[in-house]
Amino acid sequence: MLDVREIHSFYGDAHVLHGVSLSVAKGEVRALLGRNGMGKTTLIRSIMNLTPPQVRAGDITFKGESLRGRPSNEIARRGIAIVPQGRRLFPSLTVTEHLTVLKPASVTTGWTVAKAFELFPRLAERRDHYGNQLSGGERQMLAAARALMIDPELILMDEPSEGLAPVMVQHLESIILELKAAGLSILLVEQNLFSALAVADQVTVLEGGRVVYEADAQSVAHDPGRLNRHLGVC
Amino acid sequence: MSGLSLFQLLNGVTFAALLFIVASGFTLIFGLLRIVNLAHGALYLMGGYCGYAVASASGNFFVGALAAMVCVGLAGLALDRGLLRFVGGNELRQVLLTLGVAFVVNDLLLVVFGGDTFTVPTPDFLRGALHVGTMFYPKYRLFVLGLGIVLFCVLWLMLYRTRLGALIRAGVDDPETIQAMGINIRRIFLLTFMLGAALAGLGGAVGGAFLTLYPSADAEILVFSLAVVIIGGRGSLLGAAVGALMVGLLNSIGQVMFPEFAYFVIFGPMALILAFRPYGLFGRAA
Ligand SMILES: Nc1ncnc2c1ncn2[C@@H]1O[C@H](COP(=O)(O)OP(=O)(O)OP(=O)(O)O)[C@@H](O)[C@H]1O
Ligand SMILES: [Mg+2]
Repeated sequence: MLDVREIHSFYGDAHVLHGVSLSVAKGEVRALLGRNGMGKTTLIRSIMNLTPPQVRAGDITFKGESLRGRPSNEIARRGIAIVPQGRRLFPSLTVTEHLTVLKPASVTTGWTVAKAFELFPRLAERRDHYGNQLSGGERQMLAAARALMIDPELILMDEPSEGLAPVMVQHLESIILELKAAGLSILLVEQNLFSALAVADQVTVLEGGRVVYEADAQSVAHDPGRLNRHLGVC
Repeated sequence: MSGLSLFQLLNGVTFAALLFIVASGFTLIFGLLRIVNLAHGALYLMGGYCGYAVASASGNFFVGALAAMVCVGLAGLALDRGLLRFVGGNELRQVLLTLGVAFVVNDLLLVVFGGDTFTVPTPDFLRGALHVGTMFYPKYRLFVLGLGIVLFCVLWLMLYRTRLGALIRAGVDDPETIQAMGINIRRIFLLTFMLGAALAGLGGAVGGAFLTLYPSADAEILVFSLAVVIIGGRGSLLGAAVGALMVGLLNSIGQVMFPEFAYFVIFGPMALILAFRPYGLFGRAA
């Protein structure tokens, strides 16, 4: 479904991704692991064509069509949603507005405000709060609910468990499994190996802007030592 | 030194309403879109002349005001798409560019309309005076006051109760993220810019009926609008209303009580407010 082939991304003259390739199949969860500063966010931003970074070489295709150089709003409309690192909620919008701003309340197909609130009942209680008045867990739920409103086929989640309490991380895992069961594909950036392994089908590790390890979840379970060497101690 | 009469107080409040009409457009563009549009006064003047020409030809003030909004809104489209997009984000270039546009527009209007003063003809039912308490007050000025209040409500509802308003607020908060969610934010910003310009046009048509139009009226209204938005806080609708009220009233007080210091009476307090609240009364850091 998503195919990233040999992309090279730059911040100005700084060469950050060195020929990264990766794919996500339909209905699959791929975990993208790597320590701080290894290029995970850079890869996510390259896929959405958010600048910086600049993608100077390589190709990115989604359902067989090239995305490179297209405006990010068009990429989103083709069915890729992003849950950005740090959530990036809108401080001037209420919880409900975060959802209706992307899809008018009158549209009843696909994800609706009611369905999002069903998945995240907590958000329904907070519906009139502003983006900056929510707890860390609520913020993450809202970032995920917002992404769903564009009825994506693929969601790019950049460290959704960052800063969450363990119980919230577990909740998040169950949500990811639920979305996967509904047929969504997910590219999940994580630093938390155990959280990633709880939901992922495939694992990719980035180091210094290169893919240094790739395996399916079963083989990781059989030989966790190799993965651990790449991630340092997790 | 004489006290301020009710008549002069009303003059201040009705002038404030006009200032709000013009400054609300300015705050959309300068405050929300962060575009330093020094051509806002020129857009006002363009709206004034356009309103004058169409109202005179059609014999209908409201047709003139509508034409001014449409015409200046389209001028805003040309300004944003044709020029401003090449200097996006660079404030110094925006200042120089829009100031240049202001001079050009001003000269073009001088060529077309000459140096005479004009007054936009008002409809019959708004001529004359109304009994207010113990005195008579011009109906037209009260109409402007009503228009300012209605406009405040309409803009407030638009910004805080419609999806377009939510899109604008989200775009101002974080244009990159809303774009990554599938929204063409450039189009939303262009629409906002055109709306801001159209409001300058409306202000010109409405103001041209009681302040008169003359070649340098644009600089004056620009300075007042700047004062309103800076006092109230960039991008705040409530700030624009409160700022307009302050500037309108201070202007009246200055003219009546300290005619030699009329400008100081406005800009002295403005400097004082900025010293304590650098983002204005209702503004917040970007
Ligand atoms: N805007 C930028 N300008 C210049 N260099 C940047 C910029 N953003 C990131 N980098 C550099 O690019 C490299 C990869 O950063 P990236 O944000 O992709 O890492 P990451 O894997 O997402 O890390 P983290 O887990 O901390 O989020 C780092 O060396 C970082 O310093
Ligand atoms: Mg990152």
